[in-house]
Amino acid sequence: MTCNAKTALVPSFQRPVSRVAIRSAASYEQDLLALIYETLCEFDLPVRGKTVLLKPNLVGPDPLGVTNTHPAVIAASRESLLRLGAAQVLIGEGPAVDRDTEAILESIGLRHYVGSVTNVFVDLNVDDVEKVSLKTTASRLSELYLPKTVLAADFIISMPKLKTHHWAGVTLSLKNMFGIVPGSCYGWPKNVLHWAGIDAAILDINAAVRPDFAIVDGIVGMEGNGPLQGEPKNSGVLILGDDPVAVDATCCRVMGLLPAKVKYLSQAGILLGHIHQDKIQQLGESIASVRTPFSVLNNFQHLVDTSAAFGTQPALVG
Amino acid sequence: MIPENEAAFTPEGSCAARAGVIALELERNPSVSFVESVCLPKLRSAQNDDGGWGYRPGLQSRVEPTCWVLQALFNVADVEGSRETCQRGLQFLRSAQLPDGSWPFAAGQEVGCSVTAPACWALLSSKSSPEAVAAGLNWLSQDAPRDAAFLRRWLRRLSPTRHYSRQHGAYRGWGWNPGTSSWVEPTSVALIALGLCPKELLPAGANERRQSAEAMLYDRMCPGGGWNCGDPMVYGVPGKSLVIPTAWALIALRGYPQRTENMVSLDWLERNLPDEQGPGSLALAQICLEAYGHKWPETARRPGHLYSNNEFLGSTTTTAWVCLAANSRRSWLTGEEETSR
Repeated sequence: MTCNAKTALVPSFQRPVSRVAIRSAASYEQDLLALIYETLCEFDLPVRGKTVLLKPNLVGPDPLGVTNTHPAVIAASRESLLRLGAAQVLIGEGPAVDRDTEAILESIGLRHYVGSVTNVFVDLNVDDVEKVSLKTTASRLSELYLPKTVLAADFIISMPKLKTHHWAGVTLSLKNMFGIVPGSCYGWPKNVLHWAGIDAAILDINAAVRPDFAIVDGIVGMEGNGPLQGEPKNSGVLILGDDPVAVDATCCRVMGLLPAKVKYLSQAGILLGHIHQDKIQQLGESIASVRTPFSVLNNFQHLVDTSAAFGTQPALVG
Repeated sequence: MIPENEAAFTPEGSCAARAGVIALELERNPSVSFVESVCLPKLRSAQNDDGGWGYRPGLQSRVEPTCWVLQALFNVADVEGSRETCQRGLQFLRSAQLPDGSWPFAAGQEVGCSVTAPACWALLSSKSSPEAVAAGLNWLSQDAPRDAAFLRRWLRRLSPTRHYSRQHGAYRGWGWNPGTSSWVEPTSVALIALGLCPKELLPAGANERRQSAEAMLYDRMCPGGGWNCGDPMVYGVPGKSLVIPTAWALIALRGYPQRTENMVSLDWLERNLPDEQGPGSLALAQICLEAYGHKWPETARRPGHLYSNNEFLGSTTTTAWVCLAANSRRSWLTGEEETSR
């Protein structure tokens, strides 16, 4: 197991300031490669000679491109990492409700963006698995079988889409890690995680396999009854960072939501990363300049930042 | 047989290049079917030393892909040529069974799960190991999803989100793992396995479980026909049906072809197949439509046509399903002997 479990659990007061970059991107047709490559260069990622795993959010057939991480973002990220010297950049996902992964890949046209996927894409639902004892006890789960491709990766990048979620409030880079849990062990959907408590399971999974980096596709997000049946939301941003908790907190702020009110995110802020703005160095655009309020279901109205008179947020660091 | 549609072979990538070589071979020898020239050799060569198959060649043996590959090999023309392969596969299956009669999802796992149903089904097709089948089905009949428990249903009635779901909580299907909820695919496959089981092997109470599971499937049908994994309504919004669960549910419920739900769902399936791009989905849909005596939609592609896209992502399960769809023998599905192919 070479993933960064050793760095997953660090008390917030001992964790260095996290860095999150917000980049405006009006559409998937623009030069995303240049945008992402230049941004990744700012982070000086330790990927040279390493095996990098991109974990996009591919939940189902999506011919309109509103549910899944867009293949243009995946391809641009992959090419950027290869330019940065990564020895291998794999794309891995274990879709949650549809076991025909190839149908999903074809519906989004992934191979038209990255070329042949046969040696690049790993269906994490049916990968070889290894039993992993969980380091935390947020849920009742004590162990999980996880894909060996994930456990063997040197550097993991969570690549969610900017979406609301009907059970968790928001689904971003932490919730996206549900997709590493293999369907061949836990089904379609991965119902064991639901019974264990979604918020708690998110924490346990990320404590076991914390992403090293996150790239959020917020060019077109989803609001309302996400992650599958919400409405497309043009947000025009990519949000990247070296701390998935800080990235998710920043995403919430962009969505006009309060990260501290998102149960799992609030708890993740204790040991997995930063949610407070004074611990997040902001790069690129300011939150206020890109803020796009997302609508949420009635049961998540408490997440809405009603005090967010735009521009009155505390000063940003960096 | 493929490639009937040569245009399906795109000129990009090494995958297409390999597929092009296969197409050339088929052109030279059109009597060689895609299944016999491509799928079966891939499956045979993917068998692990322990007799089982992984989800992809070279991966650790798992129960589920082993079951589907065995079903595919049982149906091939050259049964004799596959005999030893099948025997080794069956031996793997038998050795993977847990003492309580169930099968686990992976070696080392000590708790059984939904793969118990396809394991029983494969053993039924092999006409061997009746004791193993009886033990497996007995485990299945005793496995009670937690969402149908009385306390759980009572708590759900108090939940502020109770209005968002219209599911009938008392119906019991099967879950993917013990102690979880009922879902469409494991329920369907368990129903099929129980339906194929000789009466003498059926556990007590099996008929009642089947009736409840069938009711659960009908209850979970999506508005407008078809099934998804098992959430027909999400926060008041109709769930989107998917091909694989729809095909499984329809196959499991094929004893009721005149029910409105079946007809509406068949209609959904036929309407959506032309847009389907997954070979596994298409293969199961083909098996499903044939079970109802329906013709393949003219505008839908055959599963094998999609091979050139991604070589089925190397999936042994998909390859096995494509073999089963392409073969006209259906004894594995009906339990009836077929004297000729």
